[in-house]
Amino acid sequence: MRVFWTLLVDSLRLLRARALFWITLVISALAAVIYLSIGFTPTGISMMFGMAEMESPVLRAGNPAAELFYLGLFSKFIVGLWLSWVAIGLAIISCAPIFPDFMAEGSIGIPLSKPVSRLKLFLYKYIGSLMFVVLQVGLFCAIVFFAVRWRVGTWNPSVFWAVPLVTLVFSYLYSVVVLVAVKTRSVLPAILAGILVWFASWVGQKGEEVLYQLTYMGASQEDVSEGGNDSLREWHQRSVWLMACLPKTGETVNLIDRHVVVGGKTGFSNSGFLQVLMGREASADESVDRAVARHSPFYVVGTSLIFEAVMLGLAAWTFCRRDF
Amino acid sequence: MSAAVSIEYLRKVYGGFEALAGISLNVPRGVVFGLLGPNGAGKSTLVKSLLTILRPTACRGELLGKPIGHRATLAKVGYLPEHARFPEYLTGRQVVEFSAGLANVPGAVAKRRAGECLERVGMSAWANKRVGAYSKGMKQRVGLAQALVNDPELLFLDEPTDGVDPEGRIEIRKLIESMRAEGKTVFVNSHLLAEVEQVADEVAILAKGKIVARGSMAELTRQGRRYELRTEGPVPLALREGFARNGWEVAGDRLVLEAESAAMAQPAIDTLREAKVVIREVKELRRSLEELFLEAVQSNGNGGEA
Repeated sequence: MRVFWTLLVDSLRLLRARALFWITLVISALAAVIYLSIGFTPTGISMMFGMAEMESPVLRAGNPAAELFYLGLFSKFIVGLWLSWVAIGLAIISCAPIFPDFMAEGSIGIPLSKPVSRLKLFLYKYIGSLMFVVLQVGLFCAIVFFAVRWRVGTWNPSVFWAVPLVTLVFSYLYSVVVLVAVKTRSVLPAILAGILVWFASWVGQKGEEVLYQLTYMGASQEDVSEGGNDSLREWHQRSVWLMACLPKTGETVNLIDRHVVVGGKTGFSNSGFLQVLMGREASADESVDRAVARHSPFYVVGTSLIFEAVMLGLAAWTFCRRDF
Repeated sequence: MSAAVSIEYLRKVYGGFEALAGISLNVPRGVVFGLLGPNGAGKSTLVKSLLTILRPTACRGELLGKPIGHRATLAKVGYLPEHARFPEYLTGRQVVEFSAGLANVPGAVAKRRAGECLERVGMSAWANKRVGAYSKGMKQRVGLAQALVNDPELLFLDEPTDGVDPEGRIEIRKLIESMRAEGKTVFVNSHLLAEVEQVADEVAILAKGKIVARGSMAELTRQGRRYELRTEGPVPLALREGFARNGWEVAGDRLVLEAESAAMAQPAIDTLREAKVVIREVKELRRSLEELFLEAVQSNGNGGEA
């Protein structure tokens, strides 16, 4: 355990020394403060701490749609865009040099000459690197937690689900970065590999989503029962198989919809949020929500973790067998 | 008590290149052991093999009485690598505490030991400054401190004076001597012969992955021991032929004889005294480590491979 803490403290010191860590943290905090600045009045919605106001019969204090809107902003825009794209991208760039630096001539000799196994060293270093995202998202969620209390009036600890989910997404991609970094000891190929897998995963998920919509949502019930779109179903099945081998970055982040508590109920309605965004009262379209939740969390996280385990296994095997 | 290092057989091959050609070596406890060799001879490969930093092709032997590679034993070992690099975001104290943490030294002990070790290497004043601000010699001192922090029984120093100024070298030598006085074993890898000669009890010379000479400094330098006599004025011509017959080299006022003991030089002194020749100086000449090294390396056709 002492070795684990030693490496964890070292990782925190390393992050603290990186300018990119602070830049990301400041931008995250700014985004959280902007979120905090959005509030509700009896007649509508206010922004920038009341500097701008907009009347709305739906988005106003006391209306349940206001809570859905506020948490929807958090789930779809802040977690779905800022944290799962920009913050993770910056984290990849910032954390990519950790393993090449650790394995550099003159650096690696000291840790390897200690009474700690190479596998432990590798895993602890990997876990320590995840702190970049844990800290960023943790701070962000803490601000959001207080913002929700202030603006909506409820203590909602379910917003902290973003911490493990965004960290999971980062860990899928970072496992690829680490594998290439351990193989090549270079930073650039590692970043490129991480981005490539990220892109492939995004394309794969989008492709599967479109095929699902065409197969199951665009067709009438008659078509489905008569097997009129068998070919599409086959293509969709293939895309599911393909995606089973890749990390499901977007879907993992979207799992927050199933855990966030809105109006005392666990689960967030995407269709309801869309209605609210358009200024209407929230009315959930079950087919849309079912489509968003078509894959079980077990499948989404499980298959992605298998991918991560394979990448990490290969990286750890290389690290443990390598001469330094 | 078992030896500090006992290598029965150690071989390391990189691709087609044999870095260590099945060597065997014994280092007793409580001595300063110098491993000498030109660059690329395999010195660092040997130490790294003992410390599991690289995986030997074949290895049989013991480190502090346990099989080489036994991880728990490494808690009793300190190591300063060649060209040691430390993260620039850490202070000297943090580097030493990091090393202590990896060696499983309890937190409070690590803090105390870190302070002591930094003091010992003369880095107390700089302990809380970042490594990025250190000179090469200062980094080397911090490297020494981190190697000492777990109070090792066996200390491996790979080119410890690399980049250190003359004053620092003397301090490092004193440090090594103090380690020996504490009963610890110090294994020094170096290509700087004069330094090893000053501090080592035993040495081995490594060339092309083979140990070409080994023994205590006294044993090695005793080989080829010579005695030199110097007279007031040139050695009289009448005596020269006799000296030459008995194996003395004579040149001007100087007579040199290769002999195993001082007793063999006594007849020459008697002869000179009888001839009323004033003897200005009598000296025992030992071969320097440098001479030994060059002989050993050259006889093995070393080319200084990478």
